[in-house]
Amino acid sequence: MDTATALGRETEIYNDYVKEWKAAGGKVVGYSCVATPVEIVEAAGLLPYRIKALGNAETELADGEMSLFNCSFCRACLQLCLDGTYDFLDGLIETNGCDHLRAMFENWQHRKKLDAFYYLKVPHFFRDDSLAYFEEQLGELKGLLEEKFSSRVTDEALDEAIRGWETVRERWRDLSALREQDRPAVSGSEALALEVKGSSMLSRDFAALLQRFMEERKGAPGARPAARLMLCGPASDEVEWFEEIERLGAVVVADALCFGARAFSRSVPEEGPPLRRLAETYLSSIFCPRMYKEYPRRRELILETARRARVDGVIYLYNKFCDLHGVDSVLVRRDLEEAGIPVLVLEKEYSARADIGRVKTRVQAFMERIGGAA
Amino acid sequence: MEKGFVMREGENGFERAMGILEMIYKLPDNLSEEDVEAMKNFVFPELQHTVIGLLELPADRELELFFFRLLLGVFKEAQRAQEEGKKLVFIPFTFPPEIFYAFDNIFPLCTEIVGGLITNICYGQGERFWDFAMGLGLPDSLCSANTIGTMPLFMGPGIRPDAIVYNSAGSCNPNAKIHAFASDYLGIPQFVLEKPVDESARGRELYRGYMKRFIRELEEWSGSEMREERLREVLEKSYQAVRLYHEYWELKKARPCPVPNIFSMTLLVLRSQLWGRQEAVDVLQKMVDISKERLRKGEYTAGEELARIYITYIYWLFDFSGYFTWLEKQGISILGDILAIHFFPEMDFSTKESMLEGLADIAFDYPMTRQMGGESISLRWLDDVAWAAQDLGADACVFGGVHACKHTLGTAAFFRREMMKRLGLPTLMLTGDVFDKRHTPMEIFQEEVKTFVEQVVARKRAQARRKKAGPSGDAAAESG
Ligand code: SF4
Ligand code: SF4
Repeated sequence: MDTATALGRETEIYNDYVKEWKAAGGKVVGYSCVATPVEIVEAAGLLPYRIKALGNAETELADGEMSLFNCSFCRACLQLCLDGTYDFLDGLIETNGCDHLRAMFENWQHRKKLDAFYYLKVPHFFRDDSLAYFEEQLGELKGLLEEKFSSRVTDEALDEAIRGWETVRERWRDLSALREQDRPAVSGSEALALEVKGSSMLSRDFAALLQRFMEERKGAPGARPAARLMLCGPASDEVEWFEEIERLGAVVVADALCFGARAFSRSVPEEGPPLRRLAETYLSSIFCPRMYKEYPRRRELILETARRARVDGVIYLYNKFCDLHGVDSVLVRRDLEEAGIPVLVLEKEYSARADIGRVKTRVQAFMERIGGAA
Repeated sequence: MEKGFVMREGENGFERAMGILEMIYKLPDNLSEEDVEAMKNFVFPELQHTVIGLLELPADRELELFFFRLLLGVFKEAQRAQEEGKKLVFIPFTFPPEIFYAFDNIFPLCTEIVGGLITNICYGQGERFWDFAMGLGLPDSLCSANTIGTMPLFMGPGIRPDAIVYNSAGSCNPNAKIHAFASDYLGIPQFVLEKPVDESARGRELYRGYMKRFIRELEEWSGSEMREERLREVLEKSYQAVRLYHEYWELKKARPCPVPNIFSMTLLVLRSQLWGRQEAVDVLQKMVDISKERLRKGEYTAGEELARIYITYIYWLFDFSGYFTWLEKQGISILGDILAIHFFPEMDFSTKESMLEGLADIAFDYPMTRQMGGESISLRWLDDVAWAAQDLGADACVFGGVHACKHTLGTAAFFRREMMKRLGLPTLMLTGDVFDKRHTPMEIFQEEVKTFVEQVVARKRAQARRKKAGPSGDAAAESG
């Protein structure tokens, strides 16, 4: 199987994998935030599906519900809810990620009736009392899935799902090492494409996909990039943006994105009750500006990754009107530049073709600044 | 025309605004029309809107002069706080200030009130502070209410807090982020009271625990315990104000509304900065007395009360004259906004524990925190505004909040539809900015509201009148 087949570039929200799952009588539960423990969904015999828009920039229907001051990624997802693309979902898990996402979920809930809807209330701090509450929440989520989908989520099933996702994370870390080589054997856009595809799969199939892909790539010579870049920011499933940037001669050798490395930084411990282990692992590793009093940890993660991957510069890319990332980007830029790492902050609309040209020009100028012009 | 703009050595927006405000001590208690006119001509053009907004209407004059004198006194206390060995904390306007007054050695200053003061008093208004924020690289989608209030800290010199408090983690990103940013960027300690998005008994119980921990953290940091006696004193003051607030609310129901529009702004400042102090009680008492007197005499500013509107989010606060006074002169009464909807539980004053639990309940249901930190933003927001609008007899709603409030904007279409379905109340949708007139100038606001009232509200009323008049009136309405 060659790379293209392994990647099987996603073009459809309701893709073949999900169609087959549904055809076999399986149920699908959507979620949007990496704070959602997919292990519980999988242990309930359901397919966890991360909500994405796959570059669909249409927002006409969603614009009637949300305002133009709302993040275009959220509007794009809502559009796919309203036009029926997401009708294959049997359940949905909301989280309080940001104001826009909450509004998007509320509109979704007002417009579509699902078999199961759960609002997972993720605390904004990692403290003892927050942790206890989050664990209760996970227990409630488990109970709801059991009730609505007539399944029983045993500790054994949870352990198995935890092992499954641990394998995915280990493989992802191996993949990251291939990206970080002097001559990267995997590009940033390929990594993102894999993540996008894997985010609607069971863990065993995602792990197998990663394995196949890496076997193919292990001995690959790889070219020395004109610039080694790192991308930071929120959820982005826009593979084409990565491709455009890499077409300029750079390689995105590392990232701290929500759809990307941030989701794989965690490791669930082996000892203890499964829900407690999940609660602790997820809550302590959200690494998103939605978490408070944790900026120093975010800065350390970004700095450490940038140094390990020997990046020439960091691009902080976020969607217009995103206050969480817009504000954090100022601190990140200040601190990275103090550490000698150049930073480019870019604000854009989700998947807007018009923005790609503007962004390319600015990336090009940035590459010249950091000495990596092709 | 630089006299209001120049910051003097050691001064920033806050100090400059206070320097200008000093002139109110020189004014006679019984201001005449001529005094107001002379004052208007004395100040620089932008401050004229503030002067007229506060003092033009005779009903407002006495109260606003009294209020601003007391407010200035409290700001001076804030300025002296550090010299007197107290800690100065910046707090958001989504938080009860009485918590801090209950400490012997902590003094609260509300970020957004500082922003409002700068915007309304300094020449150049809040714009230079906003532009400075943009220069730092902050996104222009932030909330000017908190951004303008925090930026003087970055620009220095002048007042500098010892700590920053916020409570909107997860209920308003711009508010929480700008406060967190200020503390991260400037290296000032932060104290956070998180509200779980859980309205069940469990959520409340958790929040009470968070509140107690928050108080403990403040105690450790400030080195002094919150004394039970002081807490009781402050809460007793707070509840004297609560009783007056309820009277004020009842007065608003009368037709035409006897409560002047500008009192809405006054109430907002009282609640965000002065609650728990004697000043809040004294000002509210006067507001109630004046309104009662107007009710008794049947006074109303315009010839007729054309419309009673509820602001579904918050007022614009950069031009009191263009907003509150202008609407009142048009016969449009403002009944309230989201920040005017307060829930005060029965307070059990018996122990420190019982009072802290009461305080936690007040904070849990604090405006904005209650709605935007609710389990469902759209439903909690709708329920509360619908209740207030109906209770006060509104004819229509105006959404003219802040373009930064992404949570309300994200469900405003739903809100508008449901408001119509539930109560038959039309909602005018406007986007603008609470402190930045460049976003949507006041003239546009006026134009839109006027057209809305003429085209929608007045017509609806006329139809209703015709219907009441009987079948012939009805037929006329239909054929027309
Ligand atoms: S990009 Fe920002 S605003 Fe949009 S969903 Fe992500 S965190 Fe929220
Ligand atoms: S809710 Fe709106 S007005 Fe209130 S602080 Fe947030 S952005 Fe500002």
